[in-house]
Amino acid sequence: MKTGSFEFNVRELAMPTPSDEELMLNVRDGDLAAFEQLVPRRQTEAWRVAYRFTGDAAEAEDIAQQAFLRILDAAPRYTPTAAFRTYLYQVVTRLCLDRHRKKRPVLAESLPDPAAAAPTPEEHAGARDRDRLIQTALDSLPADHRLAIVLRYFEGLSGVEMAAAMGRSPKAVERLLARARAALAPRLELLREK
Amino acid sequence: MDCRTAQPSLSAYVRGELPPDVRSALQAHLRECPACLASLTALDPIAAALGQSQEPPAPQGFATRVMAAARSRGKPVVAGDWDPLHWWRMTPAPMRAAAAAMLVAGLTAGLATGWTARPATRQAQDTQAVALADAVAAYHMDYFGDAPDGSLADGYVALLAGRNGEGR
Repeated sequence: MKTGSFEFNVRELAMPTPSDEELMLNVRDGDLAAFEQLVPRRQTEAWRVAYRFTGDAAEAEDIAQQAFLRILDAAPRYTPTAAFRTYLYQVVTRLCLDRHRKKRPVLAESLPDPAAAAPTPEEHAGARDRDRLIQTALDSLPADHRLAIVLRYFEGLSGVEMAAAMGRSPKAVERLLARARAALAPRLELLREK
Repeated sequence: MDCRTAQPSLSAYVRGELPPDVRSALQAHLRECPACLASLTALDPIAAALGQSQEPPAPQGFATRVMAAARSRGKPVVAGDWDPLHWWRMTPAPMRAAAAAMLVAGLTAGLATGWTARPATRQAQDTQAVALADAVAAYHMDYFGDAPDGSLADGYVALLAGRNGEGR
């Protein structure tokens, strides 16, 4: 309970001005400049989910771009019933699953280098190996299991947020996550041995 | 973030209940603190394993490319533009229900009225046709049958049939 109120306060303090939802209301009224403000603010989330899901940078960019364009197209009907971030995850999630139905994902050759950190060549190689192992383990999961893992462990979504993004009930999402965790755990054993 | 603030946040982290900025700070701390990482591993080994993964940033120029694509699609349809269903979407649900009920009631009343009036109209048409046939047959005026509209002969037949200036 105590943690909840703390989190709420932090969320309030961290909220950018204008909020995502306010920007979307402006986009609904035809303000493309508001959309131009929103895209860089949320591009990382959209791209990261698509990238973790597909394991392919070019395909992830295509999905993330399509997600933003769909949101723009649907803007005239936008009503701020939920956080924009949840809405974005919902659109990206649907696009990922649609893409998966058409094509098997390609394994990642490499992950982009982190912008801030400057690791030594050994550390860098170690991190790349670890990331490749993680991505390979993810790719081996069924699509909905992979999405559940990505949304919880990479994006930090709660059960309720995941349910909204995946169009399922919170209970169904928790069951899905439990199955996904059980499937992923043995595949990550290699990582623990390293 | 230090261990004192990180430790109590681990459960919320595992449940996905931390705000994004606190979550990032905790992840940065976990990368540097083996003790907190061990606590997390005991709590949720998958969260600990995946949390070590580097967060890939969006590609350079992504937002610019999205905006270029958005502009190339032309002006989006905005809420103020003409939209035949816009008023319907904007109207509160009780008013929509009332409007739909009124429409159904109006259509039902119209259909019922039309259905009731139909036999009477047909009867009138039949009576008129019989009268015309009787007049032509009774007065041996069948040679006026092909008389052109508006001619004297046509007028005479109409008079006999009791049409009195009505069209045929």
